[in-house]
Amino acid sequence: MTIGEAVRALRDGRISSTELTREALAQIERLNPKLNAFITITGESALEAARLADAELAAGTDRGSLHGIPIAHKDLFFTRGVRTTCGSKIYEHFVPDHDAAVVEKLMVAGAVSLGKLNMHELAFGITSTNPHFGAVRNPWNPGHIPGGSSGGSGAAVAAGMVFAATGSDTGGSIRIPAALCGVVGLKPTYGRVSRFGALPLAFSLDHMGPLTRSVRDAGLMLNAIAGHDPRDPASVSRPVPDFVPEPHCDIRGLRIGVPDAFFFDRLDPEVEAAVRRALAEAERLGAIVKTVRLPDVAAINAAGMVVQFAEVAAVIEPHFTNRDQFGKDVLALVDQGRFLTAADYINAQRLRRQAQLDFREVWREVDCLITPTTAIAAPRIGETMVKVANREEEIRSATTRLVRSFNALGLPALSLPCGRTVAGLPIGLQIIGRPFGEPLILRVGAALEDSGVTIPTCTLD
Amino acid sequence: MTDWKAIARARGLAIPEADVEKIAPRLDALEAAFRPLAVKLTPDQEPAVVFHADPESE
Repeated sequence: MTIGEAVRALRDGRISSTELTREALAQIERLNPKLNAFITITGESALEAARLADAELAAGTDRGSLHGIPIAHKDLFFTRGVRTTCGSKIYEHFVPDHDAAVVEKLMVAGAVSLGKLNMHELAFGITSTNPHFGAVRNPWNPGHIPGGSSGGSGAAVAAGMVFAATGSDTGGSIRIPAALCGVVGLKPTYGRVSRFGALPLAFSLDHMGPLTRSVRDAGLMLNAIAGHDPRDPASVSRPVPDFVPEPHCDIRGLRIGVPDAFFFDRLDPEVEAAVRRALAEAERLGAIVKTVRLPDVAAINAAGMVVQFAEVAAVIEPHFTNRDQFGKDVLALVDQGRFLTAADYINAQRLRRQAQLDFREVWREVDCLITPTTAIAAPRIGETMVKVANREEEIRSATTRLVRSFNALGLPALSLPCGRTVAGLPIGLQIIGRPFGEPLILRVGAALEDSGVTIPTCTLD
Repeated sequence: MTDWKAIARARGLAIPEADVEKIAPRLDALEAAFRPLAVKLTPDQEPAVVFHADPESE
């Protein structure tokens, strides 16, 4: 069931928020021991919130499309009175005294929080194999990673534990788990959603957004969390439109760009075939699919990595003295940042600005881009290397190299499932838009989803 | 090749040498990808992060 379907059932009186919440908690009780998606489950307060949501609806108070809908938060969003670990030993006992802006807004919209979701330690990695809180497992095959860093969010949504989850994306951390878990993940434009109260990884690259079961559900979540927030210096004062695409939306005449290099150069053949099938479907729906030349994406990735490593090093600096509190993979990444100089950081930011200016040309030619989200489907837990197009590659690179540049550029990007491998693992494609172009990428995503570019619901027993 | 261990010592980074050795290939790769780009920058190219005298006007 999607949020849209649950909203209709709630309004028709066919189901109550209390029943939806009880079902979700039962699903969590059944599956969390296998998947380890949750760090903290707040069942009691969830049921209380659900009862309040039912009472409000009965009294004629309707908070909108998320009223009474069970969701959960990545464990880096501050939740007042509820432990917020960031998947780290550093914050193991941290209990915030206020809510993050995203949490606050979803509460005002009437969503019912069921708890806090497991993630890659400090949001710095893509496996969600957390050394302190245990590995999150992929609902499609628990021997495989769910992606990360919002791995618990992807797994919880895919396994039907919640209708939607919040996530954060600094170098692909919403879109990678969305692709690997077969759900929808939206990284909005930088500045569109407040970062206030989210533990930072890299200030100028962190984006907050939703993971959901459908494209329209992602629009519903964005409706609730978008908007200016003076508490976030990067927050942008722009009108917030209705992000939910209309039924039977039309993409005839839209110009969809397919990059001529980089994004299709080294892919698992099953990933490439699935994305090309989706592109053919877009063309069948009347879109104009054309090849487009992009600025040097490898260079944008390099600049983005320097910015990320330097900003992470600054954030983590007070904790350098106690190396034992970090997992090995995170420590290795943090250490890399410590070798960078101030000049490196500034030069990376200069390259980033140039890339942003160069990208303006792209938007004169096309309305959006479509690429694969990751070069591979979900690898096995514990694997670090993978063979892609006959070349050994680090899994970290194979999952981040197609998504990272859009963090550096701050562009909105939507990942949606577009097929499965022979082994049954999901494959994701990515739709990228111009700054604040979320309505258009959601429209393209919804049109593809409506025409069958999707995968069946995961049925893990 | 860059001597990352020497750099770590000179900057007082307090990273064990064995750990530096493990990340050296990644540091070399980042250096190779990033350094040639940085040297091509011209003085008129501003960084993406700018300072605003009035934070309210950002």
